[in-house]
Amino acid sequence: MKAIRFSFFQMVVTMGRDMMLFMACLAPILAGFFFRFAIPVLETVLTQSFHIPAVISPYYKLIDIFFAMLSSTMFCFVSAMVALEESDEKTAVYLFITPLRKTGYLSARFGVPAVIAFLVTLVLLPAFKLTPLSPAAIFLFAAGGTLQGMIVALLVLTVSSNRLEGMAVTKLSTLTVFGAVVPFFIKDKVQYGVFLLPSFWIGKAACENGLFYMLPAFALSVMWISFLLKRYMCKM
Amino acid sequence: MIQVNDLSFSYTKSPFISGMNFSVSEGEIFGFLGPSGAGKSTLQKILIGMLRTYQGSAMVNGVECKKRTKHFYENIGVDFEFSTMYEKLTARENLQFFSSLYEKKPRPIDELLERVGLEQDADKRVADYSKGMKSRLNFIKALLHDPLLLCLDEPTSGLDPTNSHMMKNMILEEKAKGKTILLTTHNMQDATELCDRVAFIVGGKICALDSPHNLIMSKGAATVTYTWFENGEHSASCPLGRVSSDEQLKGLIAENRLQSIHSSEPTLNDIFMDVTGRTLV
Ligand SMILES: Nc1ncnc2c1ncn2[C@@H]1O[C@H](COP(=O)(O)OP(=O)(O)OP(=O)(O)O)[C@@H](O)[C@H]1O
Ligand SMILES: [Mg+2]
Repeated sequence: MKAIRFSFFQMVVTMGRDMMLFMACLAPILAGFFFRFAIPVLETVLTQSFHIPAVISPYYKLIDIFFAMLSSTMFCFVSAMVALEESDEKTAVYLFITPLRKTGYLSARFGVPAVIAFLVTLVLLPAFKLTPLSPAAIFLFAAGGTLQGMIVALLVLTVSSNRLEGMAVTKLSTLTVFGAVVPFFIKDKVQYGVFLLPSFWIGKAACENGLFYMLPAFALSVMWISFLLKRYMCKM
Repeated sequence: MIQVNDLSFSYTKSPFISGMNFSVSEGEIFGFLGPSGAGKSTLQKILIGMLRTYQGSAMVNGVECKKRTKHFYENIGVDFEFSTMYEKLTARENLQFFSSLYEKKPRPIDELLERVGLEQDADKRVADYSKGMKSRLNFIKALLHDPLLLCLDEPTSGLDPTNSHMMKNMILEEKAKGKTILLTTHNMQDATELCDRVAFIVGGKICALDSPHNLIMSKGAATVTYTWFENGEHSASCPLGRVSSDEQLKGLIAENRLQSIHSSEPTLNDIFMDVTGRTLV
């Protein structure tokens, strides 16, 4: 425990010194304010100038679940960047042969940030949500979002071999988040083409007000995470 | 401290390390010598629990390396052949962080830094360190938690003679405290000076294992080589123990006609060439 605690603090210090990583951690709050206060104003302006009843408001649910995935994706992205730097500098290899070991390292770099992201989302989502969400929905969306963030981080880690590549791969792997958009825009059966993405099911749960769709989302997330973890363990 | 029985391991399908047997007792300095790519670092990685897909048995401090626990690492200090420091942090910050990972009370950081002559640079970022400075810093990182077993992979590479001498003294001090040390090196002189026993590793196998002294003795006595001038230069040699029966040499000495004479004692390097059929790089 002591080792996990200190190596997590070590990561926080690294983040504090890196402007980009620091901003990434603040992003959820900035985005929260934007979603909550700027978007409704924008909607009023748009509906009035085009004389139509709704432009963005049908997608408020989509914005809410994006927000549920945001904190976790940002925190896990930051962790992945730190972890990539640690594998560049070979400090990760050294940490594996201290009492921290691989399991402690993974806890400090992904477990702890994911738990924090989950808690942060539980606080921020009720504060910044655009649609009425039940406590159960908030809890499930926050949990689904947290797992989604871990998938992005692990994808970045397993696919790229250094920090520079990591930045590029991040842009690609955040695409997995956009599975959530599909149920909102494609009503046809074609939408099931992306059934492997947990975010698709989260989107479906929000779009069709069916929280039971979170079940496949969790099951698929666990499968993705265990598959990627195995790949990562082999690579190190 | 270490027992290895019928150990085999390979990164690929084809066999690499195979049929290794040896043991190292407490307080011993044990050397791994061998050409580049022979598997020395690989063997060390097995012994510190980094590679766990080996066959056979490798016990360190009473624990099978495959099944190492958290506690296993409280007593192992490793100096890899590459630098393993946070480049953006200072030396002191690095040492403080790494020592915080152990349950044990760490050794005083300033004292260690002073021992290797880095006290002036303790607050410099590791990125601004020279190669030799990094080597020294990595070395004391392995000592931080006062481990029972030290694995040193080419610790003196990239060091100037003074620093190399200083580091060798520190290694001997650790031995005097009863620590066990695994030392990989390409420097035969260092191996002869430091190691109680050495294992020659070639192509994943141990081809010779004994004390440097015994290995050198097994090579036979020193030889004397001398040259003289007589219609061009000539040279001859004879074993040191038989100079008195070398009539030619005796004659040359009596007539004061020797141009040069020198004896050459066998070294570990000669043993290395004998065992492996090649020289060290
Ligand atoms: N992670 C790895 N995956 C696959 N092969 C590897 C890996 N690490 C090392 N090898 C191979 O194993 C062999 C032995 O490498 P090792 O590092 O043990 O050599 P060494 O004896 O330490 O050499 P040197 O004296 O140059 O440090 C080499 O052929 C190397 O290519
Ligand atoms: Mg090596």
